Amino acid sequence: MTFAVQSGLFFRRKWLETLRQPVWIITGLSTPLLYLALFEPLLRSVAGGRGLPAAHVLNVFVPGILALVAFGAGMGAGWVVIWELDSGVIERLRVTPASRLALMLGTVLRDVAMFVLPGIVVIGIAIGFGFSAHWAGLVLMLALLALFTVACSATSSALGIQLKQIGSLAAVVTGVQLPLTLLSGILLPLSLGPGWLRVLGHLNPMYYTVQAARDLSAGTVATTVVGTGFLVTGAAAALALWWGTRCYQRAMT
Amino acid sequence: MPVTQSQPIAIQAHGLRKSFRVRDQAVEAVSGLDLTVAAGQIFGFLGPNGAGKTTTLRILTTLLPADAGEAFVAGADVVRSPQRVRRRIGYVGQLGGADGSATGRENLLLQARLYGMTAAAASSRADELIELFDLGTFAGRVVRSYSGGQRRRLEVALGILHHPQVLFLDEPTTGLDPQNRANLWDQVRQLRDGGTTVFLTTHYLDDADQLSDRLAIVDRGRVIAEGTPAQLKQRYSGDTIVITPAGPADSLPSLERDLAGIPFVRSTRIRDGSIRLTVTDTTRSMAAVFGALADKDVAVRAASFAQPSLDDVFLHETGRSLRDTGEHTAEPGSGQSAGEQAAA
Repeated sequence: MTFAVQSGLFFRRKWLETLRQPVWIITGLSTPLLYLALFEPLLRSVAGGRGLPAAHVLNVFVPGILALVAFGAGMGAGWVVIWELDSGVIERLRVTPASRLALMLGTVLRDVAMFVLPGIVVIGIAIGFGFSAHWAGLVLMLALLALFTVACSATSSALGIQLKQIGSLAAVVTGVQLPLTLLSGILLPLSLGPGWLRVLGHLNPMYYTVQAARDLSAGTVATTVVGTGFLVTGAAAALALWWGTRCYQRAMT
Repeated sequence: MPVTQSQPIAIQAHGLRKSFRVRDQAVEAVSGLDLTVAAGQIFGFLGPNGAGKTTTLRILTTLLPADAGEAFVAGADVVRSPQRVRRRIGYVGQLGGADGSATGRENLLLQARLYGMTAAAASSRADELIELFDLGTFAGRVVRSYSGGQRRRLEVALGILHHPQVLFLDEPTTGLDPQNRANLWDQVRQLRDGGTTVFLTTHYLDDADQLSDRLAIVDRGRVIAEGTPAQLKQRYSGDTIVITPAGPADSLPSLERDLAGIPFVRSTRIRDGSIRLTVTDTTRSMAAVFGALADKDVAVRAASFAQPSLDDVFLHETGRSLRDTGEHTAEPGSGQSAGEQAAA
């Protein structure tokens, strides 16, 4: 039995679980749409000038919002992992010959789907708001942010297995979320900020993802920024998958 | 069913060790454990909570690497060829392990596919098990809505789905009511009769005594006694006479000393206001004991005769009782006391 078939089976398991709890789909959509409805008008009125030209507000803003959706879709994985540890599901599956990576990929792929589907809806609505779409760039941007979701999801699973307690996981994730997202320039480009802020941003892997997503959203595909973004995000995803698999191999309640 | 040369070995472990770090202190959960289980029997692994039963089980099922020692399960080395072991064993953990957000049937289908069955084969095997374990009325509902007994039936079905050579059950009767517990015993016996080796951990005396063909008693990470239930009880203790005098409790020690001097009385102890005498020749010793009580004019409130229990074996080896509370005077096979304990 191949690894791909197992991953598909585990994905199917998680997908059925998601369909039975449609509340996830709603919460996944509400954040980006609220940002779009309530924050974008504010941004538009302050825009103009260096770094945030008024005509391109949405090209700067939409990729940031999508990165936030990707982060949220991935970082929820750990909660479910803890629940599955406590109910013995992971232990049972670990006694079968199934691949541990495939087991984790079921969740990771579900999270990717839970980023891509709301992401497409957000893009569609943003186009209604006047977002100018560059199709090749958009497809690549979704691919990049899907890779980012992979990194977040595997990291969250690994953290869940390591920490074992919902409370500890929540503390770590929320503690990391704000600095990570602020220092990646999700809401406003860091190029608007002072030098020290930009230095801090460069230490944050997510910064490169968001920068590349902005270039892609503007339709500029062949840039160093895009290349760096894929490289950093890909490396983060690979590292997270490796760490997550190791955690799954040793998972204990 | 003693182990003989002709019987194939299902589980063999030698010198297993495992410690955990708890608040910067190494706690040894398994300390030099040896074990041999012949194929085709129900092997009980009896011990108090914290004796290292679950840790041993996790080592044998490839879930946890041992610090030292070696183990072979169903003919394969758990360290060198864990995948081979996994294909040949089934496991029903203490936590259960059914996926609560999937239906019973979906659980079965996924498990079947993971062992390499095609979709069609998985579907017919799921139907078979739904029939066998009588899951029909609820197999289409999500597991979260199941009762404890329904859930446990599904979990055992998941454990045996791929016809494992060795089935591991970790505290399988915990939380089951008497009816479900009796059903589980029947299922386990049927599996054994079909050729499956069943290895079960338990801290219930009745599980170990009634269900096991052979058992090991574990304490503090090692096997302290091993044999058939009858052998163990015979080896470590005779029958027991329990005398509850009507007089005050402080008169018990002197009475105990007097009774200890009677022929056929091997040992005595005081528990819960009664004197327990372990005797070799029941008929003669009873006559002698009551003769002595009559001579001393001791009024007796209650007297009973109990067959040896595995708790006596444990007590003999460790100086502690497996049961923290309550008196174990019920004769083996008393389904009522078994049920009460399981429900507690």
